[in-house]
Amino acid sequence: MKNKLTLILLLIFSISLFGCSSQAAPYSPESFYMGTVINQKVYGKNAKKAGDLVIDRMKEIEASMTINTPGGEINPLNDAAGLNPVPVSPSVMFLLNKSKEYGELSQGAFDVTIGPLVKEWGIFTDNPKIPSSDKINELLKLVDYKTLLIDTMNNTAMLPMKGQIVDLGGIAKGYAGNEAIRIYKENEITSGFINLGGNVVVLGTKPDGALWNIGVQNPRDVNGKIIGKLAVKDTAIVSSGDYERFFEKDGVRYHHILDPKTGSPSKSDLIGVTIVVDSTIVTDSSTDGDALSTSVFVLGLDKGRQLVESLKGVNAVFITEDKKVYVTSGLKDKFTFDDESKVYQYVQ
Amino acid sequence: MFNKMKKGDLVVGSIVLLLIIISFAGVKIYNSLGSGNGKIAVIRQNNIIIKTIDLDKLKESQEIKIDGDFHNTILLENGRIRFEDADCPDLVCVKTGWLDKNGQMAVCLPNKVSVKIEGSDEGLDGVAF
Amino acid sequence: MTKTKKMVLLSFFAAGAIVLSIIESMFPVPLPIYGVKLGLANIITIVLLYFFGIREALMVVCIRVFLSTLYGGGFVVFLFSITGGILSTLVMGFLMKVFFDRLSLSSVSVVGSIMHNLGQLLVAGVVMKDFAVLGYLPVLMISGVIMGVFIGIISNFLISSLKRINVFTIKP
Repeated sequence: MKNKLTLILLLIFSISLFGCSSQAAPYSPESFYMGTVINQKVYGKNAKKAGDLVIDRMKEIEASMTINTPGGEINPLNDAAGLNPVPVSPSVMFLLNKSKEYGELSQGAFDVTIGPLVKEWGIFTDNPKIPSSDKINELLKLVDYKTLLIDTMNNTAMLPMKGQIVDLGGIAKGYAGNEAIRIYKENEITSGFINLGGNVVVLGTKPDGALWNIGVQNPRDVNGKIIGKLAVKDTAIVSSGDYERFFEKDGVRYHHILDPKTGSPSKSDLIGVTIVVDSTIVTDSSTDGDALSTSVFVLGLDKGRQLVESLKGVNAVFITEDKKVYVTSGLKDKFTFDDESKVYQYVQ
Repeated sequence: MFNKMKKGDLVVGSIVLLLIIISFAGVKIYNSLGSGNGKIAVIRQNNIIIKTIDLDKLKESQEIKIDGDFHNTILLENGRIRFEDADCPDLVCVKTGWLDKNGQMAVCLPNKVSVKIEGSDEGLDGVAF
Repeated sequence: MTKTKKMVLLSFFAAGAIVLSIIESMFPVPLPIYGVKLGLANIITIVLLYFFGIREALMVVCIRVFLSTLYGGGFVVFLFSITGGILSTLVMGFLMKVFFDRLSLSSVSVVGSIMHNLGQLLVAGVVMKDFAVLGYLPVLMISGVIMGVFIGIISNFLISSLKRINVFTIKP
């Protein structure tokens, strides 16, 4: 009798050990590319391999898309503006096409040729400044995504006017997120998480089957303080807001998201928007999410909500200037309002 | 001669005593609020969280080097954290010493790095910002 | 008194305040926030509030803070000192003007020390963009009381001595 009992106990013990192994600690490397901290949490047999491959890919993407350091593919494109077409790789081709697509969808709120104005405002540098309206009007002539010429047959692209600048800043991180998921899948990872400076993409659920808990940043509090949580799987979550990069002058806040129509920081009723894209419905969930978050932020609550609701698999959390929080219907079950600062009002 | 005890002194004295008690209570409450699931050290650079570590779960001491306009070395041990070394001009961060309680913080202003002990947020896997 | 005499007297006091500032940085502070000061210079402030008024006391506070920051400290220490100094001077001045006959100097200086420390904490909170530093409020209040009583006794002694020398015209 005693022996049987011991046997059974041993059996149970070993089975539980088996179960425990899949909850092993994730591979959580931290890297710094595209001007931001990149955190990953990869679970599974090939976790380290996948994680390291992702870091390599991030490095590649940064090198390819940069306009702040020499080299890459975008610099030649910008340098040849008004001169000649330049060859581009499939990734860049993909992004340029995607950018034009979103230019259309957002009715110009998202414009990848906004480069000259971003440079003039200098918000990403240590010396941002307010350009004169004359200068802004002058540079606005160079901003129009429709002028970007893409030749898919010869794999080239060209900017027709001298001085035009393509800036993939509004879509590169999103793309990088998608690339990470692709690499995870190629390495048989079924549970993974990547956060590129606030651009979050999750693959599958957590190893124990639980959903990932992702916080929605409070636009008016320290980084890490939230106004709500999203419980998700196979989703990309991308935010845009007036709190990410800005400078203040004479009491006015100048943030980094320029409105391509005015050439100045967008002035809508939103201070933050978080786009939630279902990866099982939208293949390029993170890339689209990135472009959409900029678009919707510029468009404002009404037009932005219209745009989001017209797209399948896409939902959003809107935070307005008057501190109200709205979510689209698809998030009702996934979003939990949780505002520690007690300043916001959840409008259902 | 001007220091004799007068009527007003009692009033001032009791108000001050009351304030001391209230501030003690206030701080105790604040500290216990975040306690929840442990002592999480949050390191921010330029106001963005770059690392969070559960100090209670730390088994061996760890060093983190942060490079910005200046350089900081942060030392983490089980249950506590501090700026160990810095090359900024005033060394305020280093002189602050060990942080081991919820709510405590140390800052290297020149390098725009801050370290604060916060209660964990019931298992958030990440924040979208 | 003549303007010249007043200027000379105030300069003496300013010099004294600066020396006190320098001496107090040699003492360990009860706080893990560097840059916080004990507030010994409040002795001078109280004496000035007694013999002159808020305006003169503030003038000397500003001079003292500017010059002692040159000696040692950075922008952060300057901010702490000036905020603590101005806040405590204003509050003490108010108390002395309105409640003179009902308060002993020790009470005034206790409030002054607490205000001085509070000012420093508030600046620290703004500078770090996080008011978690207010967690040090209890410690600061207690040290404020201790310092306050100590400063009150010394101020009392100083004022009595100065009156005996008859340097000033006494304010009612």
